[in-house]
Amino acid sequence: MSDPYKVLNVSPNASDDEIKHAYRELARKYHPDNYHDNPLADLAQEKMKEINEAYEQVQRQRKARSSYDAQRGSYSQSSYSYGGASGQADSSDPLLQQVRAAINSGDITRAERLLNEAQAHGAEWNFLMGVVCTRRGWMDEAKQYFQNACRMDPNNAEYRQALQMFNNSGYQPAGFRSFGSMTYGSDDCLRMCAAWSCCMLSGGRCCIF
Amino acid sequence: MFGYIRPAAHRLSGEENERFHAAYCGLCHTLGRRYGFAARFLLNFDFTFLAILLSLGTQTSCVCRRCIAHPCRGCGTIAASAALDAAAAQSVVLSWWQIQDHIADHGFWSGLKYRLAALLLRGAYRKARADASDFDMTVRQRLHELSEREREQCASLDAAAEPFAVLLSEVASTQSDETKRRIYRQLFYHLGRWIYLVDAADDFRDDARNGNYNPLRCRYSIDGDTLPDAVRLELGETLDASIRQMAGAYALLDAGEWTSVLDSIFYDSLYGIGGAVLKGIYRKPSRFRRDRTTEGETA
Repeated sequence: MSDPYKVLNVSPNASDDEIKHAYRELARKYHPDNYHDNPLADLAQEKMKEINEAYEQVQRQRKARSSYDAQRGSYSQSSYSYGGASGQADSSDPLLQQVRAAINSGDITRAERLLNEAQAHGAEWNFLMGVVCTRRGWMDEAKQYFQNACRMDPNNAEYRQALQMFNNSGYQPAGFRSFGSMTYGSDDCLRMCAAWSCCMLSGGRCCIF
Repeated sequence: MFGYIRPAAHRLSGEENERFHAAYCGLCHTLGRRYGFAARFLLNFDFTFLAILLSLGTQTSCVCRRCIAHPCRGCGTIAASAALDAAAAQSVVLSWWQIQDHIADHGFWSGLKYRLAALLLRGAYRKARADASDFDMTVRQRLHELSEREREQCASLDAAAEPFAVLLSEVASTQSDETKRRIYRQLFYHLGRWIYLVDAADDFRDDARNGNYNPLRCRYSIDGDTLPDAVRLELGETLDASIRQMAGAYALLDAGEWTSVLDSIFYDSLYGIGGAVLKGIYRKPSRFRRDRTTEGETA
């Protein structure tokens, strides 16, 4: 295994608190919520596993080195872990069951073909179309399908979660505020926003290319 | 590529801003060296961003070089590398086909400047086509699809953006490592989608006045020449979704020395640029003004 300190991006001399902080930041970065229905979810999962292992290894090493630090072992319980990106319910429709199987195996083309064959376009069909669109990067359509699914079956937790995940603000590193394009210009960000329109437009010596 | 992307200068130290500038100058020199003087005029921020992303994982060294813009005091420039060469070839191919697209869209007189540009760049394009023949083929094919979408007045934002997004994701095919290729493909797909939609919002007024196709008008059935507030909000959300997909892919790459510059782009400036375009306060910078960015945009 590679150097656990390198994986956690900390110096071997870092304090326990610094290591814990670095671990938590990385866990936040690669959290499964940030990779929901994302074609790279498996890579994020591998990364998370590597980080968890590195953290546990560092914990073990430090525990062995200093006996007074015994209580540290419990952090491993707070490690984030995947429950499988497909915590999806069983479908009653055999065709939609096949769609779910295709999505779980990563065969989005097949899932889409099956969905196009379906006659009825109910809540679940809309939900699964939303998942397929998200995987393909068709974010505008995906949102519309998720919204349709929630409208047709407002009490379904799976559909509600999908829409919620879709609106999830994602990972922002410490020091970066969480905002969207339309909220960027509010309050103190306004002057930064104004800077986009004038930055690099005036000034002294310049590069002509 | 339209030149939208640049780091959030206020987040970077002077040294980090210099680093971005060094990439900008590095690409400029590479364009000049490989494809002739005229090709230098194709340089923009998006291509610089592309060059930086393609350089990840390779050691970049900085050299001090003079050029026509810096004849007396040379400036820090990242040294020639395979990644810069690839970015330069792709920049020339993309620009060439964009110019061809403009020629097709304009009449004889209004398209004269594009014809002149094509004339000046013909040699550069031929050489770049030889260097990146697969990419050239992809670009032709995708731009053809793009014009088909325009012709059929496509009302789906995603379907309209798809050809340009796929075109850009093909940049990833130069990567030999399978994992890296997957990450880049996802990142560039959403970069292409984002650029296409931001450009559609930016051109909305002109398109409405000239009667040109604009995906936003078809998607949201807008009659006037301004984007209604509700549409701006929805468009902002779909742009944000692409930024988050890009950021998710970027998090899986080791950005090394480019971490600060790229962090400022993926976690800050893309939101700022998209927001400014949607609010109608964005103006495209024509060229890089070095002094301004190094001051830190604190005014």
